Order: sequence, then structure tokens, then C-alpha cells
Amino acid sequence: MAPDAPDPHTLAGAYALDAVADADRVMFERHLAACESCREEIRTLREATGRLAMVTAVQPRADLRGATLRAAARLSQLPPAGEAAQRPAAGLVVTGSAAAAPDSPGETAPAAGRPASPPGAARRSGQSLRRRLSGPLPRLALALSCVLAAVVVVLALMMHGTQHRLDQAQLRSHAIASVLTAADVTMMSRQVSTGGTATVVMSRERRALVFTAQGLPQPGAGQRYELWLMGPAGIRSAGMLAGAPGGMVGPVVVHGLTAGDRVGMTMEPAAGAAKPGSAMVVVLGVGGG
Amino acid sequence: MPESGNQTEGGQSAAGRAEHVPGQPGRYAGGPAATGQELSEVLGRVARGDERAFELLYDAMAAPVLGIVRRVVRDPAQSDEVMQEVLLELWRTASRFDPALGSARAWVMTLAHRRAVDRVRAEQRAAERELRVSLAPVPYDEVAEAVEASLDRERVRRCLGSLTELQRESVTLAYYGGYTYRQVADLLGVAAGTAKTRMRDGLIRLRDCLGVE
Repeated sequence: MAPDAPDPHTLAGAYALDAVADADRVMFERHLAACESCREEIRTLREATGRLAMVTAVQPRADLRGATLRAAARLSQLPPAGEAAQRPAAGLVVTGSAAAAPDSPGETAPAAGRPASPPGAARRSGQSLRRRLSGPLPRLALALSCVLAAVVVVLALMMHGTQHRLDQAQLRSHAIASVLTAADVTMMSRQVSTGGTATVVMSRERRALVFTAQGLPQPGAGQRYELWLMGPAGIRSAGMLAGAPGGMVGPVVVHGLTAGDRVGMTMEPAAGAAKPGSAMVVVLGVGGG
Repeated sequence: MPESGNQTEGGQSAAGRAEHVPGQPGRYAGGPAATGQELSEVLGRVARGDERAFELLYDAMAAPVLGIVRRVVRDPAQSDEVMQEVLLELWRTASRFDPALGSARAWVMTLAHRRAVDRVRAEQRAAERELRVSLAPVPYDEVAEAVEASLDRERVRRCLGSLTELQRESVTLAYYGGYTYRQVADLLGVAAGTAKTRMRDGLIRLRDCLGVE
């Protein structure tokens, strides 16, 4: 806790106004988790800030409407949080071989009252992708369409930045495509214990994986997320992750995947660590291998 | 909201109204102040992948989202981008909206403000931009100038006016300017703890004046 902030509760106003730096936000959210009356105060203060926002309304350019609606139609949606949390293991495991197995978590994921597959255009793109893949892999196609949609969103967000970031995104997208198009591609998605969702698409054949995550809490000051490969070949750092608005990281491509590897993520000092110095916040892996 | 007793009918009626005013954001269901209950229902339909409901959401909320984003981000082109990002994030995450944790409107505007602030802070970091005091916005005056024949605006303006000057400046610099409380303290020449306290006191007073539940 910062020395000049002995009582985190005094941050409630600044927090409700988004007027806190990342370190203060992390501290206050830790406080919120244990303080019900504080959550209630934030709730009511956010109703007030919402009113401050509503009175600023200005009409958007007319062409933005169609563009936004079309973009949404191509974008898959998150399941309700409770549903995802109830999944016993990996949230969504789809492999070429598992596609034939009954009761894979990917198949059982939708709970009662929810559509059994991604809605609207996500399903349509899944079908067109299936045709192109030509094989008995409908579930793989569907899963891939979801991850492609996620990658498209992440790339699209990156492309809003500078040309430099655009160039990087293009380089990355090439490497990402080489993993996504591998014949033995495997996709997994899991909740991160500290918040957010991590998704991995791996190819053993290409010995590579693509990692993305979203909704991650902002790292504390001087800290960043670090990826690890863990398996018979030992624990190796797979690189530091640059954060982005919305708690998004990646997509990053990690090479050097070996049989039996799992992927983990920790919070480490920004300079990076040679071995994990804190608990894994998420571990993904298909095991066996 | 005459249809609020019947969810399905209400949603269809809302759709009918939206068709009468295409491209008139914020006008459906009688304007932003009237959308509370219906907006929550629209979000529920969006969560189920209802693209028509997403159109309603856009028509109701794109204007206020763009309004607050432009207030914070300032650059019109970037503001358009952030507005679209926010709407797409609403589409993706509508299933995470929980009415027990606050109104739909507050949920949407919290997300919008947060994304706007993310954008300007990322820029601040990238450019190592210093605080430009001379360019600091004076949002209270802008709000006052922007008042039209809107009861909601008038009420917000009046409630902002009921704050002490330091409370009002702290709240509006933080919210409309996108500054952290430490930056606000620098701008106002007060201690960080003072700015922090005035923000909380001011927001509580604003909340009570607005009659937030």
C-alpha cells in the first residue's frame, strides 16, 4: 500500500471516476473484494458518474452505425461468467482426435437457456470455414472461427494505433496464421485465477502456439505478465507480455513447444524472471502429448 | 415506459420505435433518461446474440458513449474508434452484465469512460506527454454552455453547481479530463490526498443531489 494512502477507502471517489493509476487501482480492487459496503458505494457513485456521461451525448457520424453493426455480426460473444467458471477443466478443448469423442468440455459448455453454438454470423463463418477445411471437423471449425474472430478483434484494435504497431501486427499475423492453419491445431481457453480469460491455440507439428488473453487485471507498477512453457524439457520462459487496454495481451506466438508442454502465466518484475517467482495465474495444456 | 410489464412485447415495441427514428441515437424510448429498464432488457437480448437488439443498443447508447469518449479523448477520429470499440465490447460481453450490480446505463458508461481513459493514458505514456495546464479543459463551463432544453442536463448542471468549487473542479477534471487524482492535484495546486478526498465528497454530494438509487 502506498505510504500516502493509509486508508484505501478514501480512494472510492477517484476509483469511481477512473482517476487512479494502475497501482492504485489494483490496491483498491483488492480492498473492494473484501468490503461489501465499498462495493455498494462504488455502485451508487457509478450511477452518478453515468449521469455525468449521459449529458455529453453527441450524435455519431451516420456511417459508423453500419460499420459497427457489421463488425459485431462477425464477432463471437463471451458466455456468461458463471457458466465458464463452472467448467471443471479447460474451458474449451477441441482437437482433431477429440472431435470424435463424446462429452468433450467444448461440447458440453453451453448451459441450459443458452444457445448451443455461437450466434448469428459466428456460426455462419464457422460453416464456411468448415467447408474450406473439408473434413469431419465441425467442432474444430467452430472453435477456430471463434479464435479467428478473437484474433481479428485483437489485430483490429492494434491497427488503431501507429504504423509501427500496424507493422508489428502484420508480422505477427503471419506467424499466427501458420499456427492456426496447422493440421493438428488444438485450442484451449481457461479462466485466469486473478480475472480474465486466456486462450491458447497450439500445433505440435509446428512446435508453436498462439497465446491471447483478455480482461486481465492491470499489472502492478513495475510488473508484467510472463509466459512459461512447462514440461519434460523443464520450465522455460516464453516471454514477457505487453499489456493493452482492456487487459488484452497478445496474440503472441511462442515457438519451441515440445511434447507434454503446458503453458502458464505469472506476474513478474517487468525486467522478466528466469524462473517463475509467483504462483501461476493460469495453466493450459493438453497433457499427455 | 408503458411496456415494461411485458418483456417480449416491450422489446418489440422498442424496435418499432427505433424504426421511426433511424439514426437518431438516444431517441429511442423517449431519450436517454427513459431507457433504464428497457436498456437492461436490450442487453439481455444482445447477450443471446440478438443482432436486432444490438441495433437498439447502438441507437440508444452510441451518442452518449461518443459524447463521453470525445470529452476525454478530444481527438474526433480517435473518439470514433474508441466509441466503436466500446460498442463491440458491449456486444461481446453483454452476458457479463448483472443488473444486481448496477443499472445498464451505468455499466455502459463506466465501460465507455474507462476505455476513453485507457486511450488517453496510453498516449500519455507513449509520448511521455507532460500535463499541459494551458490546455486543461474547463468542463464545468462546457457543461453549462452545452445546456439545451434538457431537464437531465439542467439537473446535472444544477447538482454540479451545488458542489464546492474544489469538489466540482476535482470531479470534472478527473471525469471529463481523464486525469488521475494526482494529476488533478498538480493542476489545482493541492495535495494529492486533498484531491482524492474532494473527489469522494463531491461525488457523494452529486449522487445525493441526483437522487441516485
